[in-house]
Amino acid sequence: MTTAGGNGSGSGAIGRRVRRADGEPKVRGSAIYGMDHIEPGMLHAAVRRAEVPAARIVRLDTTAAARMPGVRAVATAADAPGLSGMLVLKDQSVFASEVIRYVGEPIAAVAADTPAQAAAAAAAIELELEPLDPVLDLDTALDSGTRLIHPDWESYQTLVPGPRGGNLAWEARLERGDVAAAFASAYQVVSDEFRVPRQHQSPIEPHAAVARYDHGRFTVHTPSQFPYLVRGRVAELLGVRPSAVRIVVPTIGGGFGGKLDALLEPLACVLARKAGRPVQVLNTRADELRTAGPRENAIVRLRTAVDADGRILAQDGHILADNGANSSGETVACAGVAPLALGGTYRIPAARYLSQVVYTNTPPTAAFRGVNGPYCIYAQEMHMDHIARELGIDRREIRLRNVLRPGQKMVNGQVLSDAFLVEALESVEARAPWAELTARSRPLRGVAVVPVTWITNPGPAEASLKLAEDGTVMVTCAAAEIGTGAVTTGVRQIVAETLSVPIEDVLISAPDTDAGGYDHGAQGSRTTYGMGKAAGDAAEQVRDQILQTAADLLEASPEDLELVGGQVQVVGAPDAAVTLAAVGAAAMWAGGPISASGRFVSPPVPFDAGCMAGALFTHFSAASYHAHLAEVEVDPDTGVVTILRYVVAQDVGRAINPTMIEGQVHGGVAQGLGYAMLENLRLDDAGRVLDAGLESYRLPTALDVPPVDLEILENPCSSGPFGAKGAAEPPIVPVAAVIACAVADAIGRPINELPVSPFAVLGALRQGADVVGAST
Amino acid sequence: MSYELSVNGRRESVDVPGMTPLLDVLRDELSLRGAKKGCAEGRCGACTVRLGDRTVASCLLPVAVATDEPISTVEGVAAPDGPLHPVQEALLECGGVQCGACTPGMVMTLCDLLEADPDPDAQSVRQALVGNICRCTGYHKIVEAALSAAAALREAR
Repeated sequence: MTTAGGNGSGSGAIGRRVRRADGEPKVRGSAIYGMDHIEPGMLHAAVRRAEVPAARIVRLDTTAAARMPGVRAVATAADAPGLSGMLVLKDQSVFASEVIRYVGEPIAAVAADTPAQAAAAAAAIELELEPLDPVLDLDTALDSGTRLIHPDWESYQTLVPGPRGGNLAWEARLERGDVAAAFASAYQVVSDEFRVPRQHQSPIEPHAAVARYDHGRFTVHTPSQFPYLVRGRVAELLGVRPSAVRIVVPTIGGGFGGKLDALLEPLACVLARKAGRPVQVLNTRADELRTAGPRENAIVRLRTAVDADGRILAQDGHILADNGANSSGETVACAGVAPLALGGTYRIPAARYLSQVVYTNTPPTAAFRGVNGPYCIYAQEMHMDHIARELGIDRREIRLRNVLRPGQKMVNGQVLSDAFLVEALESVEARAPWAELTARSRPLRGVAVVPVTWITNPGPAEASLKLAEDGTVMVTCAAAEIGTGAVTTGVRQIVAETLSVPIEDVLISAPDTDAGGYDHGAQGSRTTYGMGKAAGDAAEQVRDQILQTAADLLEASPEDLELVGGQVQVVGAPDAAVTLAAVGAAAMWAGGPISASGRFVSPPVPFDAGCMAGALFTHFSAASYHAHLAEVEVDPDTGVVTILRYVVAQDVGRAINPTMIEGQVHGGVAQGLGYAMLENLRLDDAGRVLDAGLESYRLPTALDVPPVDLEILENPCSSGPFGAKGAAEPPIVPVAAVIACAVADAIGRPINELPVSPFAVLGALRQGADVVGAST
Repeated sequence: MSYELSVNGRRESVDVPGMTPLLDVLRDELSLRGAKKGCAEGRCGACTVRLGDRTVASCLLPVAVATDEPISTVEGVAAPDGPLHPVQEALLECGGVQCGACTPGMVMTLCDLLEADPDPDAQSVRQALVGNICRCTGYHKIVEAALSAAAALREAR
């Protein structure tokens, strides 16, 4: 067992299957979630939302609504004139002011004594509209002559300069190497186009926010993954400074990226200020599906030059992603992830990627676990199978020939010194030998294997630690426990190990931006990695203070002391010991209370900065390496796909809590399976979300998920706590790819669109003659 | 309209319209906020409670038809200051809880299953859970917890 430094033998907390600290209230039903939070005198809100995708507001009259029974406040665009956006592009307002840009866009909101009164008043708001031509089609939104959704696009502020214009909200580019020469000298060039639909996060808990306003400050209770982001976004939309907003996070009932950004909080704040009372805004499931931003629909076009051995010489890629009507979600911020996803697993010596984010008159899209990774990897892998087929090369073999090895460069020029993709493929191979699986070559059975490199979000973190009078340690931070256990087990385990105290003696406060320092949110698998490192840094400082104080008490040198099981003792003389409680009490009147702050940001990674434009994410920090394998069987009469076998090898750097990691892998595979086979948030030709309930938006059930044969690989990362890397996001990233490729193998036809529903499978089967040779 | 209910062994009287969903009565009138309004259309199962000897989606059940049989909710599974029920214990031990929003419904479905079938196999657990959606765990650790709780309950008998 390694420890973070000397003077401690560790508590054995790392690698233990520690229970989550928030578990008992959750199983007893006593945990207070965002949707459970209520306040004295609280009013209820209803939002009047647009029913058409594009229109000019000719008249908006709230006079009658404001006079209705129980109504305490009615708010419109005049009450929140600010423009904001998720980090990059500020094109979003709380309410539509002159123009409606999507079905579901807030136009006004009402706070009343009861939900029914609020709903009645919202419906009574008088609205006169002049229809505009809706722009709904991702394919044609950029055509010249298409109506501009934001005619004032040039006036919007941006965080960094980036290519954009008209209905092109944003563009990220990557160009490296001599692409033209590679294509000219290629043995073969292979092209494909892939289409993917929207996928909704659909946490069990809908969005909910309760805001109150006192003397110029807002306090908002909201189940947010990223409280500091919500704080900044609320402030910008309301035109106040960020410190005027306090975000307090109750228990979070799931997020998966959908609760990163502000959604209902600004509405609650505007109403609370007007009404002078706390106001709750609570989404129904239909509100969730219609207006809480999903993973974007997209089109991916790939063209690849290969040599006769199937080695990639160059790739030309075009990603067209739907931003929806504004940039309130992460789609623009993540435009630069697509080239990294496409070029992070295989050696691509020359590449040209164009990642375009396009405005349409549809609900804004947002982050969902893995952001654009799942569809970029799906496209890349189905394309790889196409290349293998053209050249007559085994599908696993072509991956082995191209996969990045230690010391080789990603497409952005970043050297992956710890690449572990071959090891991941070998781990899968040991449990599911490719030759055996493909030798059987039974009709309607298919198999696929997919390697993948993924990122750990590099964002900053701060944590404070204090030693209490009873010898326990309190960690104060704004990291949100979204359910992964990263805060309630991982961070605590790292602190317990560093201080050699029992895990039960490490307590952690609930996130509150008035109390906890900055944290970059429960996103991109970063909490155990980033907050774990910050808390570990603070714990090391606290340990030094403890040893210094104990040295005075024991009349020994700090170097001769060790921390063991919640006490400090002289090395080799355990009878000469003092408890942490006594150390805390002694320090109080000696040097002052024992406490420290720790901080972290991922160290810079060298890459070829000149090759990218418009990218917020420019490299893979704390990269991790994985492989997934699936074997499937297709029923030719019903089109139903059965997953016979699912095998995962996941590099986590260092496994802090294996139970929690397994939970992330199981859950990630289930969500990936949903994306691959079931989930499709459809819009109709009037821009309305068709799937407004869980009856038609089908989430995986206990009968849909296959057993997952997982091996956790430990390939330590120098910047992570005890070597840990992010673990939560990677398991969703290759799932659609491996399932779709396995189904394509089974039916002998490529699959160029998700989801692989029974209807899609039947359609493909009935397309006539085989276009693909069965199996490898 | 006034209704007499038996909830977790206590007599409760509420004055609400008869079509009020039982879930709203539990949460808003009786301050039992364990059961969750995940979808309000009977699909997600986070509102699952027991009525007599069966589980119901309390979001769809009018309070007027819930008066004849005892209602039990997640708050009644273990005494607030007492040890956890084996199902709750197993869910934590096996890692079957992540965000936990589905957990109150899962607990009720599993308690119901294990009373009816003390020795289920994994497939019957999955079958029983089909009305309870969990978006976090991928279900495997919940199934494992159910089997482990079943063994603990059999042992205790």
